[in-house]
Parts: sequence; structure tokens; C-alpha cells
Amino acid sequence: MLMAFMLTAFSVFAQNKTVTGMVTDDKGAPIQGVSVTLKGTKTGVMTDADGSYRIEVPSTAKTLVFSYVGFETWEQTISSQNSISVQLKPGQSNLDEVVVVAYGNVKKGDFTGSASQITSKDFQNRPLTNVTNAIPGSAPGVQTTAAGGSPGSSPGIRIRGFGSVNASNDPLYVVDNVPYDGGLANLNAEDVETITVLKDASTTALYGSRAANGVIMITTKKGKKNRNTLNFKLMQGVSSRGIPEYDRANASQFYVMMWESYRNSLLYAASPQPLAVANQNATNGIKGLLGYNPFNVPDNQIVDVNGIFNSSANLLWADDLDWTKELVRMGNRKDATLSFSGGNEKSDYFGSFGYTDEKGYIIRSDWRRFSGRVNINTQPTKWFKVGINLSGAVNKSNQASDGSSTGLVNPFYFTRAMGPIYPVYLHNQTTGEYILDASGNKIYDYGNIQLPGMPFRPQLGGRHNLAETRWNQELFKRNTLSARNYADVIFTPWLKFTTNIAVDVTDYQGSSYQNQIVGDGAPAGRASKEASKTTSYTFNQMLNFNKKYGAHNITALVAHENYDYNYNYLYGFRQGQAVEGNFELTNFATINSLTSLTDNARIESYFGRINYDYEGRFYATASYRRDGNSKFAPDVRWSSFWGIGGGWRLDREKIISKISWINMLKLRSSYGQVGNEGGISLYAYQALYGVSNNAAEPGFRQSTLPSPELTWETGKNFDIGTDFILFKNRLSGTIEYYNKVTDRMIFDVATTISNGQYTISQNIGSMYNKGIEVELKGDVIRNKNFTWNLGINGSTIKNRITKMPESNKEIISGTKKLKEGQSLYDYWVREWMGVNPVNGEALYRADVWNPSNSFVDGKGDTVTNSINNARYHYAGTAIPDLFGGISSTFSYKSFSLNFLLNYQLGGLVYDATYASLMHAGAYGAALHTDMLKRWQNPGDITNVPRMENSKTGVFDAASSRWLTGGSFLNVRTITLSYDFGKSILSKINASGMSLYVSGENLYLFAKRKGMNVNQAFSGVTSNAYTPSRIITAGLNVNF
Amino acid sequence: MLTFNFMTMQKNSLFILFITGLLFTATSCKKDYLETAPTNAVSSADVFKTTANAWTAVNGIHRMLYIQWNGNQDQGGQSANMIYMDMLGEDLVNTAQANGWFISCYRWLDHRNVNSRVPYFNYQFYFKIIANANMIIANIDAAEGPDTDKKIIKGQAQAYRAWSYYQMVQLFGKRFDASTANDTPGVPLVLEPTNVPAPRATVAEVYTQINKDLDDAIANLTGYTRANKSHLNINVAKGLKARVALTQQNWTVAAQMATEARQGLSLMSNAQYLGGFNDYTNPEWIWGSKQQEDQQTFFYSFFAYMSCNFNSSNIRGNPKAINSVLYNLISTTDVRKQLWDPTGTNTAFPIPPGGLRRPYMNRKFVAPGGSGISIGDVPHMRVGEMYLIEAEAKARIGGQDAQAAQALFTLVKNRDASYTLSANTGQALINEILTHRRIELWGEGFRFYDLKRLNQPLNRNGGNHQLSLAVVFDIPAGDKQWEFLIPQAELNTNPLVTQNPL
Repeated sequence: MLMAFMLTAFSVFAQNKTVTGMVTDDKGAPIQGVSVTLKGTKTGVMTDADGSYRIEVPSTAKTLVFSYVGFETWEQTISSQNSISVQLKPGQSNLDEVVVVAYGNVKKGDFTGSASQITSKDFQNRPLTNVTNAIPGSAPGVQTTAAGGSPGSSPGIRIRGFGSVNASNDPLYVVDNVPYDGGLANLNAEDVETITVLKDASTTALYGSRAANGVIMITTKKGKKNRNTLNFKLMQGVSSRGIPEYDRANASQFYVMMWESYRNSLLYAASPQPLAVANQNATNGIKGLLGYNPFNVPDNQIVDVNGIFNSSANLLWADDLDWTKELVRMGNRKDATLSFSGGNEKSDYFGSFGYTDEKGYIIRSDWRRFSGRVNINTQPTKWFKVGINLSGAVNKSNQASDGSSTGLVNPFYFTRAMGPIYPVYLHNQTTGEYILDASGNKIYDYGNIQLPGMPFRPQLGGRHNLAETRWNQELFKRNTLSARNYADVIFTPWLKFTTNIAVDVTDYQGSSYQNQIVGDGAPAGRASKEASKTTSYTFNQMLNFNKKYGAHNITALVAHENYDYNYNYLYGFRQGQAVEGNFELTNFATINSLTSLTDNARIESYFGRINYDYEGRFYATASYRRDGNSKFAPDVRWSSFWGIGGGWRLDREKIISKISWINMLKLRSSYGQVGNEGGISLYAYQALYGVSNNAAEPGFRQSTLPSPELTWETGKNFDIGTDFILFKNRLSGTIEYYNKVTDRMIFDVATTISNGQYTISQNIGSMYNKGIEVELKGDVIRNKNFTWNLGINGSTIKNRITKMPESNKEIISGTKKLKEGQSLYDYWVREWMGVNPVNGEALYRADVWNPSNSFVDGKGDTVTNSINNARYHYAGTAIPDLFGGISSTFSYKSFSLNFLLNYQLGGLVYDATYASLMHAGAYGAALHTDMLKRWQNPGDITNVPRMENSKTGVFDAASSRWLTGGSFLNVRTITLSYDFGKSILSKINASGMSLYVSGENLYLFAKRKGMNVNQAFSGVTSNAYTPSRIITAGLNVNF
Repeated sequence: MLTFNFMTMQKNSLFILFITGLLFTATSCKKDYLETAPTNAVSSADVFKTTANAWTAVNGIHRMLYIQWNGNQDQGGQSANMIYMDMLGEDLVNTAQANGWFISCYRWLDHRNVNSRVPYFNYQFYFKIIANANMIIANIDAAEGPDTDKKIIKGQAQAYRAWSYYQMVQLFGKRFDASTANDTPGVPLVLEPTNVPAPRATVAEVYTQINKDLDDAIANLTGYTRANKSHLNINVAKGLKARVALTQQNWTVAAQMATEARQGLSLMSNAQYLGGFNDYTNPEWIWGSKQQEDQQTFFYSFFAYMSCNFNSSNIRGNPKAINSVLYNLISTTDVRKQLWDPTGTNTAFPIPPGGLRRPYMNRKFVAPGGSGISIGDVPHMRVGEMYLIEAEAKARIGGQDAQAAQALFTLVKNRDASYTLSANTGQALINEILTHRRIELWGEGFRFYDLKRLNQPLNRNGGNHQLSLAVVFDIPAGDKQWEFLIPQAELNTNPLVTQNPL
């Protein structure tokens, strides 16, 4: 709209003749809204509803440029004729694509920054409950993790590496030009027009103190002038598990290994039993330790004294060993959106109503959303324009309890860890028959003593994930309302005042219940309610200036903005359920907790930007923002951020414009300093005492020390790159290099434990991320009936910490050690040295020679069997060598097939979930089939230590043994669609109709079956909702 | 319709300047726009503005004794230390692995692993209390309010600091041996709020400070009548002094202080003895943590591991038992014998739904709210212990065996009506007293401290400890394994601290 206005406004220069004409698409249909400009100027008009235009052309003008989003730009020499009609080809050229940037738009050809834009046509046929899932694989420089399978989950996103250790690494999300505090799953993907990833400092500088991790701009759809449409879209799909389970030992393998675990704990004890005695004790006693005998042989005849499984033993409840059978279902997903849009000379509108209902493949996990949006813009007079973009969503979701990796309510942990001998339901221990209740139903086996004579399950005894998942409740309802209102006062064609008022309100109601029968809530039954309300306001006032002085074109912006965030929280938790089926707190007798709080955070800002270009050849931009932030102490709360950028359109230089195969060639570079305040506590600078009541007496205890100097992290981001379009627009691409330095990086420095161990957030570190990003898009085949285009992108990250706190030069955290010269994700683990062939003990490289636990192995290495004497070492990094995506579209007549792959080369995964299946023999806990390769007899050469119950934690300690190659290739999506021809369309009076099938997460190629290789940036796997595979069919009709 | 086209450039600029100025001033914010404060915390300065406020800082420490630490399920404040101390001894028996909590501590692995959370917790927990006490001691004098309140507030902080150092130095330092200089490393002495790391003071220096703090506390707490037993009064301060003196083999002071500490309190009845050790109004309790409903301790409660009846995976699968060797030393007429069930079949012992019964399981600790609620008051000091300190100290002074036997008699006669005054003397009397100490204080967090104080070996043989579960049966007296390792997290941030022998 803005562009349209300007183009009209500028068309008042010297006039010599009038050219008229019509613009149509390749099928001959008129196109409205095509920009028709005089080449090298901003003078231009737009076509109206029937595709016609009328432009005054000065005698000096030689060429008319016709451009429209989604079509190839066409240049037409002006000869003597007064009528020029053109037919535009749908196509590749993206020069005139509008890139959404901070507080405005810019044409891609004029853009000097670094941004990747994903448009609705890239993801319109994908079943995305959370639109951010369109990002993985689609944007160079953006590293992502696989979103969990829980409906509505979003992927982790890192733009150009990792900017911080203790503050946030998440980008800033901006929805319709205003930072968004709601969850992105509130948005209907159908409403989204573009997702733009802003990467470099000059592009992000206008978001100042929140920009250092990059910015993701999500822009929703608008109506188009004189193009009234009605669109209906329906998707229906099924969801299932995207990655298979790890291979685990079966019942007989398991029993034998557990026998061995027990036998060895007797044989290798400090006061060992003789072999024969230990063997006999194991044969006699193993059932007692495992609790259950699932075989039709006596307890002491399952495994003989030689550790051999009884060949005549058969399972008593073979059909009842699969704990996932009833927890996993065929999930489904329904999605319907009705949208309508249009406009006239003065106004445009877009409206939509959407319904999404996704049921995950784990029972009791779903997401249901009703969403609506209205976007209206109107310009009733020449000098005033106003618009409102109002959206709301009503979300309701049952959440799978996968929050804690070893939570007993976590279905993935529970089913994975359950030994393969334990039944889901109660069985007669002799006959194996199901024990039924009075109504003839099967009874869940909690693994404790439910009936006289029943065994006790040592693994997860007294717990039952299936029953708990069925009977418990983890539910939330979230209602959101977002409003973006603006008013423009147009003083003159070159000066405009704009004010925006935006409000985001999120009402959240969480409801949780744990049943009385089994689990955390038993026997009382307990319920909690959580209510929160998040309100954020953004209010700004901007002056926009845009004027041309001969060959010099200047646009400028000055502005002021307030941001006000308010969070209200109320939580109640009671137990002692009275009546079944009622989960309201009044139905519970005892108050466990009742609490509330209010948080406020505010930012005030002044900012401005100047863009300059000379003849469309040289571009320069400078941005400045000054932010005051309530998170920091008064003396340091104001700081300035800035960015500069420049571009040079080489193709507009004479020498290069003669080279026919270069259609566009641009060099660009930028540098700037932006801030990061995400993840820092709202009151981090204040010395505080937190609530610590002693029974009925009010109390406080020291919680934080003052940090008066604390301020933003500073991102110093440099970027240089080239954009090009070659070979008659057949190949386009970008190659760029970035160097992103974080200074004043925040470390939560702990005072030493003996000083009370209070963490103080201080700006004392430095880190950099450097890398190269390459993106290429090309038309491999471009025929009348068949086109094939291919896009590929790849990126690298080199991450290094360059400055650590003086008092904490090395920080060990989990499997990582932070140290100058190392990356954020370099593994620091015990060095695994294999298994001692003599006795099957796990060996680690020895830290010091200690005769009681060390020896020199055959290769001359000093090794130890003591985990305390094991040497830690840097064992590689979780950061891949190269990552990116490959996308392709094949079109043949009315069919089109496209796919998107997402890959990573290099990097190591610390497969902690695998490690937990490779334990030395905790009774009852499931084992990976790799344990079959364990050491059993002196002389065995293997990498898997012996089974021994008392050595769990020693033989399977954290070490480089659990590191696995992290390369992967993920088939993220494949879509096949069919466009109906005119004959059918005319019958139903439609302007377009397509049918398609689409799949998400179709296959993952990784080094180990079961490993969720792309789960975390840190490379460490955990038990969580495995990504889901969704296969969908859809229908899309336009009127 | 308004239009600006007629304006000249000059007018236009002025107009714009005016509008812009107006809008920007109208929207620029008040000076305090960027001032925000939390609602669930108060500023440190406000806490010490008045004595009324400063009382809340003392209450804050009381509460620290039963909150969850580090999000860990085995670290519910002081009760974590109590369970660790018994897990390391021979009198508490794990009956099964259950969900594994405390098992590697039981196997003597955790406190000897620099990265384990057991040494970490025992170091961090007490230093956190010390830091809070230091804030009170440093700031209370400047608060507005009556001097009597200042003395009481300060006295409690001093007692807490002494107790914390005492609990800790016994773990991380070598055993205090009155016959030596005790100049081996203890723990860092931090006596005021500071960010400056300190090296480990010697064991002797730490004890000197402990005694100084206790003496100050006793002086400051004289005349203080407390609201309830979660507060530290002069009885508690004297009881701590008695414990410290016993550890320092300072028998006279120990006997004297133990006697004074029980003044105004009495032994409980037999009925109360079987009441579950969960109520701080019990006449015998000198000091205990009071827990209330809306301060639930869930699965990190003392009762989530040590009671017989709370519905936790740990208790269902692994009800805690007494060493059968010790059980067999208890007289059949002793009420204490009823706390354990040697058969594992006695249905009078309450158990959670689906819980296992195991031979020698205990019902000393009972979650008072039933199997659904883990809260219960936790005892930190009882009159019974004071009689045992008095008896042991007097038996060791020499020449006071009769008085020692009398002190023991007062206690044991209360527990066992058939008990007669002991005729033992010398080492036999001491042994008898120590056996009663093991019986009386089972599960209350004393055993590791006692074994180390007495320079005795760990000996789990001959009873009901299971080989594959306990793994470790013997640790010689004086072995380096009696010293906890300094946690790696401290070594990482305090270059002045040295590690114990690995």
C-alpha cells in the first residue's frame, strides 16, 4: 500500500506522452496491482482490476519495467507506440519481492542487509500447527532442532550461532511489526504471508537491545486492491511416531543378562563368593530380584547355573509386554480455514477464520485452536490512513507429560525403561491368564502388591504410565488477543507521521490432576490450577521521510517507542480428593500451595534510520536506537545500538550490464552493535530477599546480591555478501560471510559456595560466531509443461569463547566445559578406553597413576577402572561442520511435487537415552540389544563391559563412550499437488482449485536407530515426545 | 477535506516540528517509568531496616531446614543430611533398590565423588545458612527496634552459624582429636557477608569459632521465651554446645551443657514414643522443624524415605530397616523394640497401598497425614540425646561412673520399665551407653558422625545387609574415606581451597 501510494505520488513529474496498456498472466488473465515504472526511477503506476494502466512518459524515458510478486519482471523498451501490453511469466526473479524489515519494507534488489524470507507459497500445503516449523531447512544461517511431536511444538531456532551462555539465544519474534509475547502456536499458519529471518546488524539494529540473536518477522496477509477472493482450505491427516524406538533386548535375553548382573555382583564383590556358589545363588535368586517370572517354568529354572536360558521356557503373557500398545494411537489432524480478502481504491481487507485440531500419537495429547483475524486498512482522505489488524485465538491442549526426561509420568521414559518381562495388566503368575475384575475387565498391574501373592516390580514399582496417563490431566486453555492499530498522517508526499498502538493479551489457564489410585497423586488425589495473564503494549510514533534529489534518493525515519510488559500469575494446589471426576480445587481438602505474583518490565526507546541510494547503484543505510530498560540499574539502563550497511549493484555498472548472463549482481556489507537482554531476570540488578515463611510465621531468605553494573550483552555483527541472478534468471543465489562477536557477555557468576553461592549476572565474557552461508536456487529444467527447480543451502558455524570470568576461568556444566578457546558445545567427558579383556571392567584414561586402580594397557596407555580417577578430556563438539536444507519442486502440467530436506554433517551427539539402556544391570530396567555384546569371559574383546548390578554408575558412567556421529538427513516434507483445469473450475465457478497430499518428518537418516539426533543444540538426547510424522490430504479452493 | 499541499515548505516544516514535538513529549515517559520491583521478594535493605523485619530473616533460616534444594528429590533440607548420615552407617538397612535413591550413598560412593551431589549438598546447605546468618549478624545492630530483640535475633543467627560449621567440619575435616593439634584443613571460615573466597581454616580454628559463636548465642538468648520449638533458644544453644564438647572430648563441658539443655523439658511417654516422631510439641523435643500443609515437601520430605507409610516409590519398594544385629541387642521389654518388625509380616505396621513389608522394617517415623501427605515435623534435638551425652561424658571423665549410669538409667527406665540401674563400669558402661545411643537415635542422622567421632570402623557384617545392595561392608577406622571430598563446584570457584586425599 505504502509503495502504491508513493508510486502514485511520484508520478507528477515532467510529462511528454501517455502510454496505456494491459498486463496479463501467462494464461491471459488480467493482473491487478502490477507495478509499471520508468526504469531507473521511482516513477510509476499500478494496473487496475482489469489489468490496464496509464502512465505519463517523459521523452527521455527509454524503458518501462513491469513487476509483480511471483512473476518475472519484464522490461519493455518504449518505442513510438502509445500502447504497450505485456504478458508476465510466473517465475523466479525475486528482485522486486518485498522484504519485510524492521519498521518497514524494502525491495529485495535494494536491500543491503541479510535476510531470508519464507513466503506462504513455500509452506501453504504443509500441516503446520505451529508456523515456525516452516523454518528448519529453509533459511541459511539458521540452525534448528526438531520440534517435539507434541501438537503445537516449535523447533529451537538459532540464527548465526549461539550468542550467549547464560542469557537467551532465542531470536526476537516480531508479529506484524511488533515484538510478540504470545506463543507462536497461537497463529494460524494460513494467515501468515511471510516469515522473514533478519540476520545482520544493520537490519536488526532498529530492534536495539533485543536484536542480537536475530529477529524473526512474521507478517500476516492483507487484502489486495480490486482483487476480491474467497479461499477455502481443508486438510485432513494422520500422525504417527517419526523416529522408531531403540532396539531393546527381549524377555529371554533380558533374563539372562540380569542373571549375569546378579551373579557378577556376588562374584566380584569385596568379599566374593566362589563361582559355583554365585552361579547357584543367581539361578535361585534372580527371580526374587526381578520380581516377575514371565515364563512357564519354575523360578529357579529360568536361567541355569551356566547362565543359559531354559530352552523349554515360553512366555506366559507374550501379548501383554508392549507398554506402548495402548499409549500410542494413530493421531490425526484436521485443519480448515476460510479466508476472504479484497479492496478498492481507498480500502482493503482480509479476514479469516480457522480451525485446527491435532491429536498427537500419544493418547491425551492434542491441540485445538479456533482462530480469527481481521485486517482492514483504509485511506479515507489523501492525508490520513488508518488500519487495524485484530486477531484472536482460543487454544485448548492436553499435554503429554514429557517435561522431565526421567519423570515417571513421561510415557517415553517409562515405556523405554520398562524391562521386557513386566506385563501391563495383572496376570495369574502361574497360568499367565489375565486376572479380571468383577465386571470382567483387565486390571492394570502397578507392579506392587495389589493382590496377595502378587510380585513386586523393582523397576518403576507401584507406577503405571498407561493408567496414570489415562487418569491424570495436564490441560491448558489459552486465549489470545492481538491488536495492531496504526494511523498515518500524510503531510506531504514525502513526509508521513505514523503512530502504532499494539496490544497482546494472553490468558492462560492450566489445570493439572493426579489421580488417587496410582502415581504422584495417590492415594489422596491432587489438583492444581494455574492462571496467568500476560499483557504487553507497544506504542510508537514515527516520522517517515522519503524524497529524491536528482539521482539521490533518501528515506528516513525518526521514532519513539514504549514497551510495557505485565504478567500476573496465580497458582493453587490442593490434595485430598472428595468426589471422583471433579477436578475443581474445592473438591480437594488440603491446600498444598497458594501463591501469586505480578511482574513488570518496560523499555523506552528512541530510534531512527536513514536509507540512501544513488541512481539505484549505490546504497547506504544507517540505523540508531537508544533503549532504556527496567531490567538494569538506573545508571546503566540507557544504551545505544546502531548499524550501518552499504550495497553496490554491480549489474547497473556499464561494464557488467553488458555481460548478458549476469542479470543481477550485488555486493553488500554491514556492521553494527546490537543488544541482548533476553533471559535475564527482570530484577537482576537488585539485592533481594525471597519469601521463606516458617510455618505460619512470615520469613525471607537472601536470594540475590546486587549487580549494579549489569547491562546488555552487545552483539558486534559484521556481514559481507553477494547476491546474484544469472543465466536469464535461471540461477539465483547468495554467498555471505558473517562474524558475530558477543561482548559484555553475561555470565551468572556464582560467588563460591563458601560465600553463600549467590549468582551475580555480570557482563564479563566474550564469544564469537563466524561462518559462511551459501544459498543457490535454480531452474534445472524450464519447459512449457515441465519445470524442475532446485534450491540448496548450507551454512557453517565456528563458535569460540574468547573471554571467561576471571573467577571462573573454566565452567563445567553437564557434558560440557566452557573455557577460552573452546566452543559453547564442546564435550568435556571422561575418556573412554574400552573394556578390560581380563575382567570386563570399564576403563577410562587415568588422570593420575594410582596403583590401587590404574595400570598400563597393551597400547601403553595408563588406564583406570575408577571413575574418580578418570581423566576428562575435550572429546569433540556438538556443533556440526555444515548444516542446511535442500528444496525442490517438479511441475508437470497440472501436477507439482515438492520436497524439503534438512541435513547436518558432522557434530557429535551425546546419546544419553541410549546410555540409560546400556546400564550394567539395574534390576528390571530395559536393556539395549547392544548389551548382548557385553564382556562375559576372560579374553572377550568387546567395547561393552560386564553386567554387574553393583557397578551401575561406574561401568556406564558419563564418558566419550556415549558420543555418536550426529550427521543426519531428514525428509522434512514432501507434497504432491494437482491443480484443476479451467473446465472443472468453470463448473463450480471457482478461480482455482487444488488437491494435494503432504507429509512431514517422513524419514530420518541417522547413525543409530531410535536416536533423536536433532533434539538439542547441546547434542544431548533425552526422553521426550519423539517428533511426529504427519501425512495429510488437502483441498484448496479459490473463488 | 484537509490538505497540506497548499503549505509552503517553510510552514510545513514548522508544523511538522510542532506536531512531532507535541507527540514525542506527550508520549515520553515519566522518570519512574523504568523503575520496577518484584512482588515476591523484598530488597535486602528493607529486611534490616527494623528488628520487626529482621525477625523474618531468622524465620527464613528456619524454613531453609525443610525446603527442597537444587531441585533434587533427595535434598529436603536438614533431613537430607540426616538420611545421608544414616545411609553411611551400619544401623540403617536398605531392603531393596526400589527407585535407587540414596543407594550409591549407601555404597559409600557419593561422598567420595567430587561431582556427586552429596558432598555438594552438605557443603552448600550449611554455607547458605551461614551466609544468611552472617547477613543478620552484620546488619542487625543498625536496625531500628528494641535491643532485646536485636540480641535474640543475633543469638539465633550465631547458634545457626555454630551448628552449620559443626555439622560441616565433621564431614569435610578430619576427626577432632583432643590429643592432637587438629591443624589439618577444616572448612573456610566466612564470618561476614563477602564475595572474597577464603581458604580452609584448620579444624581447631573452626571449633574455636563454633565455641565462640555458641557462647555468644547462649549469652544473647538468655531470658528469651520462644514462640515454638522451630526457634533456637538457650536450650538449643546449650544442647549444641554439649554436642560440640562431646565431639571435642571435652567431657566436663559436655556433661554440664547436656544437663542444662534439658532444663524445662522432659522425656516422652511410651505412647508418645510410638507416635511416629513427627510432632514438635512432644515434651522431649528441644528443637524441631514445624511443617504445615501449604508448605508441602512431597517426595523430598524426610518422611518420603524414612517413614513406613508414605506412598513413595522409595518406601513402597524399600521400607527402611534396622540392622538385625542392633535389633537383637534391644531388650524385649523395651518400648523401642516395637519400632521394628523382625518378621516383615506385622500388619500393625502401616504401609502405603501396594507397599512391601520387609523384615526389620521400621515404624519409628510415620507420616502423620497418612500415606498421601509427606509433611511432618522433623526432630533436630531431643532430651533423650542429652541424657546420652551426659552419661557418655560422665563415664569418660573418670570416677563418675555412678552418675553416668544414673543418667543412662533415667533415660532407659523411661523406655523400658524393667530396666535396672547398670552395674557396668569403665568401657563396659561406655559400650552400654553407646548401644543405647544407637537404638535411641536410629534414623535421626547421627550414625556417621558418631562412628567418626568415636574413631570406629564401619562394620555391616553379620546382619541383614544384602551383599549386592550394600556392596561395602567394612571401612577401617581412620580411613581417608571418612572425609567427604570438597565438591568440585567449590574448587572451580575458590582457588584457595584444597582437596582432601582422593
